[in-house]
Amino acid sequence: MTARTTTDPVDPAAPRPHTGPAPLLTHQALLYDGDEAFLSSTVPFCLDGLDADDAVLAVTTEANIALLRQALDDAAREVEFVDAKDWYRTPGHTLGEYHRYVDRHTAHGRHRRVRVIGEPVWHGRDALEMFEWTRYESAVNLAFAGCPAWVVCPYDTRTLPEDVVAGARRTHPELVEGEPARTSEHYAAPADRHDSWRRPLEPVPADGEPTVTDFGTDLSALRAFVTRAAGTLGVHGEQARRLVFAVNEVATNALRHGGGRGQVTLRRSGHRVVCDVTDPGDLPGPDWYLGYLPPDAGQRDGHGLWAVRQLCDLVEVDAVPGRTTVRLHLDLPPSSAPGR
Amino acid sequence: MIAYDTGERAVHEAGHGDHLCLTFTDDAEQRRVVTAYLLGGLRRGERVMYFADRNEPEQVLDWLRRAGTDPAPALADGRLTVTTADDSYLAEGPFDPDAMVAALHQEVADSLRAGHTGFRVSGEMGWALRDTPGAERLGEYETKVNEVFAGRPASAICQYDARHFDPAALHDFDRRHSGSVEQEPLYSSSTLRLVPSFRDGQPSLRVIGEVDHHCAPALAGALEGALDRPGDIVVDMSGLQFIDLAGVRALVRTAERLPAGRHLHVVDLEPMLGHVLHVVGWDQVPTLTVTVREVPA
Repeated sequence: MTARTTTDPVDPAAPRPHTGPAPLLTHQALLYDGDEAFLSSTVPFCLDGLDADDAVLAVTTEANIALLRQALDDAAREVEFVDAKDWYRTPGHTLGEYHRYVDRHTAHGRHRRVRVIGEPVWHGRDALEMFEWTRYESAVNLAFAGCPAWVVCPYDTRTLPEDVVAGARRTHPELVEGEPARTSEHYAAPADRHDSWRRPLEPVPADGEPTVTDFGTDLSALRAFVTRAAGTLGVHGEQARRLVFAVNEVATNALRHGGGRGQVTLRRSGHRVVCDVTDPGDLPGPDWYLGYLPPDAGQRDGHGLWAVRQLCDLVEVDAVPGRTTVRLHLDLPPSSAPGR
Repeated sequence: MIAYDTGERAVHEAGHGDHLCLTFTDDAEQRRVVTAYLLGGLRRGERVMYFADRNEPEQVLDWLRRAGTDPAPALADGRLTVTTADDSYLAEGPFDPDAMVAALHQEVADSLRAGHTGFRVSGEMGWALRDTPGAERLGEYETKVNEVFAGRPASAICQYDARHFDPAALHDFDRRHSGSVEQEPLYSSSTLRLVPSFRDGQPSLRVIGEVDHHCAPALAGALEGALDRPGDIVVDMSGLQFIDLAGVRALVRTAERLPAGRHLHVVDLEPMLGHVLHVVGWDQVPTLTVTVREVPA
């Protein structure tokens, strides 16, 4: 364990010019089976980071935050702690938050690198969410490929289902199980030639008849349709405005790339409203992680799906020759009932 | 048409009961509104009065001629009066709001008794910027005079030149009226209108209706024009019903082109759209400020 050698408080607002090339992404899964194993990796990770003047963020369970704070002692003041429950809300939102965090801390040379402890939340997720959160972990490898970030994702092997831990081995290029970190032999890159992460859309078990409409270039009519249909399914207010905005963006893309027409299907499925926007076009590239990659600031396009992923609870993109579908999921508030 | 009531009225829709404020920044805009308002009154059989200040009465009559109407017959039989404030209500001494309101009441009554269908009056208010005795009571007058028009077959347009009145005064006078005259839209379609306006006495662009892939270029064009004028750009979103990312991008790109020291203020934006700006990172543009409005859940 490395001890902090300096007692000077680090002023996070003070710009510190750094020289030399910034290190690129390191993305590791920490498979731990107890407090000792958790701390023996995360404590030096934080302290070394502070020594190197990296920004350090720890997003983990309440219990792990308490452990880590205690173990770090004075140094804990220089680490930013966030409860994982608040941070890991939806894959799109979380990716966006990490992106903004990296941007904020590395812009203008404030820090050469950020170090993140990021422990995703798996309990209470259904099969669809588990799969998408696993894909999220895979997308991190692409989304932050060019970023000076060292991300360690703890997985508690005592409580997590076997397939979640197996997923961690496939989504992280490196594993930490004791020292030292090693290459994961099960790693499957996000865009590998086996299409490891593509998955066709599953049929949606709808409560009641789905509402379907075709659209052309008059998106005003489509927006009015979606507003009405969403209201019938229990989506109102701010959430309805998010859905209409998202559908409009996807439909605008569809008009541009999909031959000027498409179809929207809305239905309620349990506690979700599921909305498919389909067009008869072909996607030029890989599909499933569209919108997970931060758009280049100067770029004209590419912001649409990035925004849509952060406005909806889950987003799936699926393309087969001659048909592209973007599926938007919104979680209804617990009290919501159809027709309200 | 887009149904959205903001108290702004196109000049051809101005009529009985209105006491409107025209805040203008160029002579052409003043001429357009005055010409339409005076001729509209004559066409409807109303008695029409005009109090000039910076313009000569002859200039105003010339506007009517150039619009294809010879004012001579209406002047001869009393349907039209064009004079100056100095030669009429300011001639007898200090400006007196109560006397002015009483005089206008009388004019309305006389007009109706003489068989006119109504009464309309418009005045240039530039005299208030000179050392005119009683000018400090203009605000009081603008409030009191509403009773002359409310619910009666009479209307008025008071003209304030934004090149000479300061923003705080403009805002104060404007809010004392029952509404304001809408400036000529820069763009108008069945779903969107882009209207130059004044907000808190500052020039602004009102975006009314929906901005999507069809009309985002129109918004970009309107903003392009605003870039060439000095000062900050205010974009008033209180009448916005929808804007897509392309429309938001047009705002951001305009802000990015402003030189340091100038800002683009997006005001009255729906909170959800403020969130969209945040998630795409456009809230980091230093020349862009966004004010979101409270929306009931």
